[in-house]
Amino acid sequence: MRDRHVAKPVPSRRILLVDDDRGLRHVLSELLQGAGHKVETAGDGPEALAMLGNGERFDLVLLDIGLPSMSGLDVLGLVRNLDNPPIVIVMTADDTSATLLEAVRRQAYRYLRKPFPPSSIVEVVREAATPFASLEVEVISAKPEWLELVAPCTLEMADRIQSFVMHLEANLPEAVREAVAQAFRELLTNAVEWGGKLDPNRKVRISCVRTKRLLLYRIADPGEGFDIDRLRHAAITNPDDDPMRHLTVREEQGLRPGGFGLAMTRSLVDDLIYNEARNEVLLIKYLDEGG
Amino acid sequence: MRIVERRIGDVTILQLIGRLELEDGDVVLRDAVNRLVASGRVKLILDMKEVTRLDSAGIGMLVSKYLTARRGGGVIKFLHPTERTDHLMDITKLTTVFEIFDNEEAAIKSFSTPVAGV
Repeated sequence: MRDRHVAKPVPSRRILLVDDDRGLRHVLSELLQGAGHKVETAGDGPEALAMLGNGERFDLVLLDIGLPSMSGLDVLGLVRNLDNPPIVIVMTADDTSATLLEAVRRQAYRYLRKPFPPSSIVEVVREAATPFASLEVEVISAKPEWLELVAPCTLEMADRIQSFVMHLEANLPEAVREAVAQAFRELLTNAVEWGGKLDPNRKVRISCVRTKRLLLYRIADPGEGFDIDRLRHAAITNPDDDPMRHLTVREEQGLRPGGFGLAMTRSLVDDLIYNEARNEVLLIKYLDEGG
Repeated sequence: MRIVERRIGDVTILQLIGRLELEDGDVVLRDAVNRLVASGRVKLILDMKEVTRLDSAGIGMLVSKYLTARRGGGVIKFLHPTERTDHLMDITKLTTVFEIFDNEEAAIKSFSTPVAGV
């Protein structure tokens, strides 16, 4: 027997970790340094802002919201007003939607709800190392029952928005939440990849509406739409006895492996409705009353 | 995604750890399977137990590499899918094609039975 490890290298980042919990600072610092990053720490907002104002350049700030003397949200607002601001990932035990939405409004890159598995911080830092991570989201509405965003068409942004939206839906039963998260991500990925051509200058508009009895997501992409009868490269056109047929079409067309998104999404939610051009889609999940 | 590779006789087990999604893990899997098939190691088991996230692109890569192995005269079998992975394979009807095992020993032994042609 022989073991062999294959993994993608993670670029080293310069990180400022801001948390008043000395133990957590130590654990996260060790973990991030072990992953090859350079980490400095601050115990409160003023100390962090002083370090950032000293001309020290950080790629990333990991920021606790519940800081003494100055709220992490206030620190976030000030950090984002700096010239060439670092990317900010917020960490908090405050699970109110108001805090999350304010973090979205102030351009937090990602939101980690405490307690989180320490190893997840390495994963989020890795994701934040992508070239498009500093792109901004335009916040049209940041109400818990109506979140509406306009965002650049990149895969990183799809991940980021999915993360925020699913934090908002944290009180759903796990199975419902997982199904909705998967369906939402598939459609958003379709929108930025096929509608937006992965062009950060093009924008996708996302609305998330929540009522007592349903979740409704609307995704409008900047593309021209598509003709469902020409989707031979998608699994939804496969005969029941040949679930791989579309892969041959994709190979002939030089497309990456895939094409299962619509088939998966249709099975995960209750309704999937496209407009006539098929560049806007509504995804609906009905909830049990009070769900 | 990280892959840990083990060899037991002529069977290769690839333990997939992390996300298998568009531009995150899919290329790592593609390269690992292509390398093995090119070197003649075509009896492959993908251990899915530690796949933390899987999307349609990841499913697509599983199917694509399944076909790569078949064209190379071998086969990919699947081990320990999580409930979520199993559900996604089910709704995409891949459970009708893939051989899926919950037991590593049984998966390895299954290679001793002849593989049907493509």
